Amino acid sequence: MTKISMNVNGKAVSRDVPDETLLSDYLREHLRLTGTHVGCDTSQCGACVVHVNGRAVKSCSALAASLEGAEVTTIEGIAQNGELHPMQQAFTDHHGLQCGFCTPGMIMTGVDMVNRYKAEGRDLTTDAIRHELEGNICRCTGYHNIVRAVEDAAAKM
Amino acid sequence: MDMTGEYRIAAPRDAVWAALNDVDVLEVCIPGCEEIHQDSPTTMTAKVVQKIGPVKARFDGAIELLNIEAPASYTIKGEGQGGVAGFAKGSADVTLEEDGDETVLRYEARAQVGGKLARLGSRLIDATAKKVATQFFNNFQQHLNDPDPPEDG
Amino acid sequence: MSTGIGARVKRKEDKRFITGKGKYTDDVRSENQAYAAFVRSPHAHAKIKGIDKSAALAMEGVIDVLDGHQLTGDGIGNIICGWAITSKDGSAMNMGAWSALATEKVRYVGDAAAVVIAETQALARIAAEAVEVDYEVLPAVSNAKKALADGAPEIHDNAPGNLIYDWEIGEEAATDAALSEAAHVTEMEITNNRLSPNPMEPRSAVATYDAAEEHYTLYTTSQNPHVARLVLSAFYQVAPEHKLRVIAPDVGGGFGSKIYIYPEEITCLWASMKTNRSVKWTSDRSEAFITDAHGRDHISTAKMGFDADGRITGFKVDTIANFGAYMSLFSSAVPTYLYATLLSGQYDIQNIHCNVRAVYTNTVPVDAYRGAGRPEACYLIERMMETAAREMGKDPSELRRANFVREFPHQTPVIMAYDAGDFDANLDQAREAADVAGFPARKEEAAKRGKLRGLGYSSYIEACGIAPSAAVGSLGAGVGLWESAEVRVNPVGTIEILTGSHSHGQGHETTFAQIVAERFSIPIENVSIVHGDTDKVQFGMGTYGSRSGAVGMSAIVKAMDKVEAKVRKIAAHVLEASEDDIVIEGGEVKVKGTDKAMGWHEVGLSAYTAHNLPPDMEPGLKESAFYDPANFTFPAGAYICEVEVDPETGVTEIVRFTASDDFGTIINPMIVEGQVHGGIAQGIGQAMLEQVVYDDDGQLITGSYMDYTMPRAADLPFYDVHHASTICPNNPLGMKGCGEAGAIGSPPAVINAITDAIGSNTLAMPATPHAVWSALQAAQ
Repeated sequence: MTKISMNVNGKAVSRDVPDETLLSDYLREHLRLTGTHVGCDTSQCGACVVHVNGRAVKSCSALAASLEGAEVTTIEGIAQNGELHPMQQAFTDHHGLQCGFCTPGMIMTGVDMVNRYKAEGRDLTTDAIRHELEGNICRCTGYHNIVRAVEDAAAKM
Repeated sequence: MDMTGEYRIAAPRDAVWAALNDVDVLEVCIPGCEEIHQDSPTTMTAKVVQKIGPVKARFDGAIELLNIEAPASYTIKGEGQGGVAGFAKGSADVTLEEDGDETVLRYEARAQVGGKLARLGSRLIDATAKKVATQFFNNFQQHLNDPDPPEDG
Repeated sequence: MSTGIGARVKRKEDKRFITGKGKYTDDVRSENQAYAAFVRSPHAHAKIKGIDKSAALAMEGVIDVLDGHQLTGDGIGNIICGWAITSKDGSAMNMGAWSALATEKVRYVGDAAAVVIAETQALARIAAEAVEVDYEVLPAVSNAKKALADGAPEIHDNAPGNLIYDWEIGEEAATDAALSEAAHVTEMEITNNRLSPNPMEPRSAVATYDAAEEHYTLYTTSQNPHVARLVLSAFYQVAPEHKLRVIAPDVGGGFGSKIYIYPEEITCLWASMKTNRSVKWTSDRSEAFITDAHGRDHISTAKMGFDADGRITGFKVDTIANFGAYMSLFSSAVPTYLYATLLSGQYDIQNIHCNVRAVYTNTVPVDAYRGAGRPEACYLIERMMETAAREMGKDPSELRRANFVREFPHQTPVIMAYDAGDFDANLDQAREAADVAGFPARKEEAAKRGKLRGLGYSSYIEACGIAPSAAVGSLGAGVGLWESAEVRVNPVGTIEILTGSHSHGQGHETTFAQIVAERFSIPIENVSIVHGDTDKVQFGMGTYGSRSGAVGMSAIVKAMDKVEAKVRKIAAHVLEASEDDIVIEGGEVKVKGTDKAMGWHEVGLSAYTAHNLPPDMEPGLKESAFYDPANFTFPAGAYICEVEVDPETGVTEIVRFTASDDFGTIINPMIVEGQVHGGIAQGIGQAMLEQVVYDDDGQLITGSYMDYTMPRAADLPFYDVHHASTICPNNPLGMKGCGEAGAIGSPPAVINAITDAIGSNTLAMPATPHAVWSALQAAQ
């Protein structure tokens, strides 16, 4: 057991967790933030993507105990004052989700992608979006509307 | 998959045969072998650690010597349970041919894995099995050619 | 903005999903939750000689370890296949016993021999490793053809030679005669590759037994909770139906794989009673690969005969279908009534014969996966048509046109009676949108860059809705395939629709609400859709076979008809007018041609206050209906795929994918397009990327996303999706269904395009770069 203190979605949280606890389990089982999903066990699918200190991380591949003091943002934490994040809005506007299971990871990856490209002054083309989505699998949408959603959100972020 | 190999050993056939049946020799030659016990003249139990790609497993295994045609040939068969990692099985038909004072060892080996090892590591099995078989016979050859230095690998 | 039929209404359900508030089964946690982990066979075929539980039971926190003998000893019934197929010699199919936990033998890698119930999930998994099962390993077989060969290991005692059934449809003698007289015969051997459905949400179950009430509650990842309850009660004897509540909350995709009632749900329910704890199990992806039903896996030989004018004279097919180690719930119907009955395609073919042998192998059970039988049929026909066109030197679209059915209804020789369609319209629309005329120039331009460009067609037809019940009953189905709905108008005029159709990505909460809001002229926000809970919804047959529109919505329409009839009576009574003069519009119920009106909500209130109702009228405003369709529906369309192959590497890029579909009436084009996108992506996945691979010993060697290639964003193009619809004459909304079309129509279009590009017809799915490169080398 290790006592872990983090800031999750803007709130300080502190819990005793077994050392082997994955961040995904910590969020889902200890904090009951079940918006972060786990869709595989080989860190391929990306349903579990959250932001750690501002960068997209697959939470199934990070140990909670290694993230003392980290700032963690999950899908539950990106809407501000009841206002959807532009990426969330774009996903519904463009029908970028069907069953919704991969969606939290897609949105968190999308936000990170746009932030990085903007910071680096790079052009986020649809080809680049597809390339950046390498680590996120969707079985429902065929990606068409997800790419459109990220493209649209990028213009608004 | 099938693997084959041929080794020339600077020792007479009877000595090679004796070594092939010597549990202490097998212990130093089987890669990753942690311990081995002779249960009968033809059966042994062993603990072997192997790393296959991302999966490291300790196999509790049984080794059996079959088709014994002393001192010319036998089949050595191993079967190990790796717990949740699955299982591994392998066998090698080994023949020894006299060539003057030396012996030519030939083998044909097969390996099979099951369970999680097969599902997660199938890309790596062929290479790993080849490596294990080659290492064993390399070790064996070295051991007989020069039994004193510590074997490597 | 209109929210009625044809409007692109944004989805009502999205908000909870995009904010992380969806509630999936694994998000459910009962008080004092216990967890299950299964002890699964690493062997494809083995006798269970004994199970040593002692080490696991000795672990602190392990509640119990349960095995198959205990399960069957408690009277839990075997898992069944619900569709009886009769072999051509009149014998019944050979269904081997399938216990939720194996007793005597395990028959595939992943078959469970025991279950551990423990205080935490991690502990349950560790303890499951400590359960020692003493296996006597038996020879195994994974390939269907090899399973039929002499001397193959036999998997079930009651299925000699591993044969489940040997079934046929159509006239063999007439088809042989037609082929022998044909001017040209195209002959092919075609494999339809085995796939793993892979909905992104792994299966999960939370079972809770209430000893005081002797009542069970099951949260589960199901496409059809009522069917689950029916089967769990009637066949597996887990609990009587009135003592079992099944809830399928948000479900993260199904694609067929969540139709079935699996060993894990049965075991969790039973274990909950045994341990008097709520028992939860959630699959990880590795477990999903070895427990979720796989799809496809057909090996066929086919001959298609043509006369001198290119008219098809006969079509003969022989198919071997791999069923895996046990017969899953709908498995038997897939390569028979959902496959061979579609072998006429869009064409007028007088003579068809198909023989199907269903075979046991030591692999995961195989059942319906998006399209279920129809993709296999479509792939066969459309590969044959393209190949025949090349062999005869004809334009592939002209060869298709020479054979299109143009008069409806059209009775095929393989049961199906097509009710409506305009196959020329779809082909014309697709060709225009795909700019087929400009293809030669694009091909030439690509050649200058050293690339090979190819174009491939697919004109698909499928059968959806799946019914009528009496008809499917006569063909062996164990259930009726109707749907039910209840329309509840509340006293304030808001409406709840209770439907047996389950939504797990299809957007029912939006489309169903659209037809209700339009019909009763109320805001769409005032309509909510209730589904997925057997305690709330009267009954339902669930979601599969693209049936939620054509069957599920038809039931809603029928119930709305009854509500409207009562509304007219109430309004006529209150407004002192004739029922015939009552109209519902603008949020009001009015007397035509007058200013007399009452608000929609006032009608609701009248119905529930019951102060002033017509004599003998019951209070309340709530009606239910069961809708049993009159026929299958027949979505159809034309797909055109254009590819560019790098001959140096075999890497193939889909540069253009054009679809023209005929789905009948479309309620929400945005959602329908999304369904087509997803279907095409799965079809491209089958054609180019995905394949479940077993080695000869029955070991699955594609057991994770590192080896099983899921389509990713960079593998896929944007899709150009169009509609050219004819109205389905057999249901009130004129709908045909859109959920599976993309997965059915796309694989042959892709392979036809690649083979066109490389100039070699010898190419099997999946057309990986290696396969394409090898085909190119072989052709040179």
